[in-house]
Amino acid sequence: MKIAYYPGCVAQESAKELDMATRWVCRALGIELVEFPNFSCCGSGFIDEANEVLNIAINARNLAIAERAGLDVLTICSTCQGMLTLAKVRMQDPTVKARVDGALKPIGIEYKGTAQVKHLLRVLTEDIGLPAVKAKVRRPLHGMKVGAFYGCHLLRPADEMGSESAEEPRSFEDLLDAIGATPVDYRGRVMCCGFPIQFVKPSTASAIAGRQILDARAHGADAMATPCPLCHLSLDAYQNKASKEVHAPLNMPIFHLPQVVALALGASPEELGLSRHLVRTDGALAKVHSSAPA
Amino acid sequence: MSADTISVPFDVYRYQPGKDSAARYQRYTLDLVPHTPVLTALLQIRAETDPSLGLRYSCRSAICGSCAMQINSKSRLACETQVGPEVARHGRIVVEPMRNQPVLRDLIVDQSPFWREYNKIEPHLKLDPRRPMPAGKVTVMTPAQVDRFKETPRCIACAACYSACPAAEADPGFPGPMALAKLYRFAVDPRDTAHQERLVRIQPNGLWLCLRCHLCTEACPKDVRPSERIRDLKEMAIAAQGATEMGSRHAVGFKENLKGAGQLNEMKLVRATSGLTGMLGQLGQGIRIYRKKPEIMKRPRKIEGMDELEKIYAALDPPPKEGP
Repeated sequence: MKIAYYPGCVAQESAKELDMATRWVCRALGIELVEFPNFSCCGSGFIDEANEVLNIAINARNLAIAERAGLDVLTICSTCQGMLTLAKVRMQDPTVKARVDGALKPIGIEYKGTAQVKHLLRVLTEDIGLPAVKAKVRRPLHGMKVGAFYGCHLLRPADEMGSESAEEPRSFEDLLDAIGATPVDYRGRVMCCGFPIQFVKPSTASAIAGRQILDARAHGADAMATPCPLCHLSLDAYQNKASKEVHAPLNMPIFHLPQVVALALGASPEELGLSRHLVRTDGALAKVHSSAPA
Repeated sequence: MSADTISVPFDVYRYQPGKDSAARYQRYTLDLVPHTPVLTALLQIRAETDPSLGLRYSCRSAICGSCAMQINSKSRLACETQVGPEVARHGRIVVEPMRNQPVLRDLIVDQSPFWREYNKIEPHLKLDPRRPMPAGKVTVMTPAQVDRFKETPRCIACAACYSACPAAEADPGFPGPMALAKLYRFAVDPRDTAHQERLVRIQPNGLWLCLRCHLCTEACPKDVRPSERIRDLKEMAIAAQGATEMGSRHAVGFKENLKGAGQLNEMKLVRATSGLTGMLGQLGQGIRIYRKKPEIMKRPRKIEGMDELEKIYAALDPPPKEGP
């Protein structure tokens, strides 16, 4: 399949390893990524707070770029997914659409709303399909217990995101199952990572991150995996702060979603930029039974 | 068990502070038809098996908001949650008191933190003393004015949103979703004369701690959508007062940030939000991250079609208001 690749800002900057792993997985599964140097940032939920209509217009422009090429959009960040999807939903309101069109039409941009916005998790589980992913597994992650961390914007608000149950999602666990890992069930999997207030109140943000990591560990997780680079920053890059806030050493390896998939499909840690994480991942990798049947 | 009933295992939280040394879960197994509400089952347990079980309820019709509790980790009304789907998903029903409020006994919590935050926002009309409402007359609002309340008048104050809120859990200073949704309701009421004052007062340690995780909107049994009204309040607060708080500086700083290259410049944003002194305070963590991820210092590539983005800003984002 062919899809417009919307990497988002963070995967091009501090989470470069997410971009590396995404490209690896897409190459392995025959997903052709079409790049658009004119995509802008999605506003990350912050521009939405400052000026809702501006934020919708910025993302309507992004969507129109993919529409012109007749492609759907692939996201690898829950916040990008949320913002692009919310723009689509809000553009169904005629008053909003008239205001946004008023800014887009004079510069020759027409928004139709024909492009679908799909996170990598959806493309893997719904378009490629789990049997096809499973067929490509060369090194199943048997023995590795992984807590899927959905975070917020892939699931909520449920009326808008509505791809699966926001309260009891299963797709990430099903994907982990398909690559041989053992998914761990814990309440924190659908909770917030704390990132949006990392600048406003770092102690509260890190306390929230710490709670989810502790919860995953209490349910036996060797590692956590997340579909969002902002969750990754909060859980990995700021894990030392989280540890301080919950008064417990955490030492929890945090993977990006395509990293765990790529590992099972045969990628090396170097190809996936695992050395760029602040918390070492080798402890979790050592849990994989080398003798496990493929 | 008759043909149309299923066996439902309940694990119910039991705790009496001052009497029990620790909380425990008590197992009760009942044969029930799948559409039985959890509340009906709990009342059956209390009537037939264990009269000591503490719970709060009243109307049994999802109107009074008394029976909010955690059912399989989700905050919801026990009277409108049926046992069938819960057992199908989880194999059992774990019943616990709401979160973020201290337990008084079993499933009954002390709601004072919730009501304290509600009272703090002064949930009543503040009228202009020079223009009193005409005595004995109804003040008529237009349908358009009523529409501005959105779904907020539906709130039944059950506190399910407060129980689900991670900001309220981690930070007792956060007002919580219900109080903020209620604040919105007064901040758009045309009869209220304290809009500006309300928006200014709520900002420090209040409004900007919302994580926009939308867990409140998910938990709300009446679809009040508090997270969306909190977003509205943030935009209203910036319009009323400018970017005076850490949170509003971050939102406005992000908006301004994109004018440079169309993509996020991480360093510039940190500086806009925290200022130079704030940046110094984060220096240690910054260096820690930089050693693994040197791109945080990189200036982003300028997108193609930047002129389009500039024109969108010019059309839809008039210059920000300075100060209050």
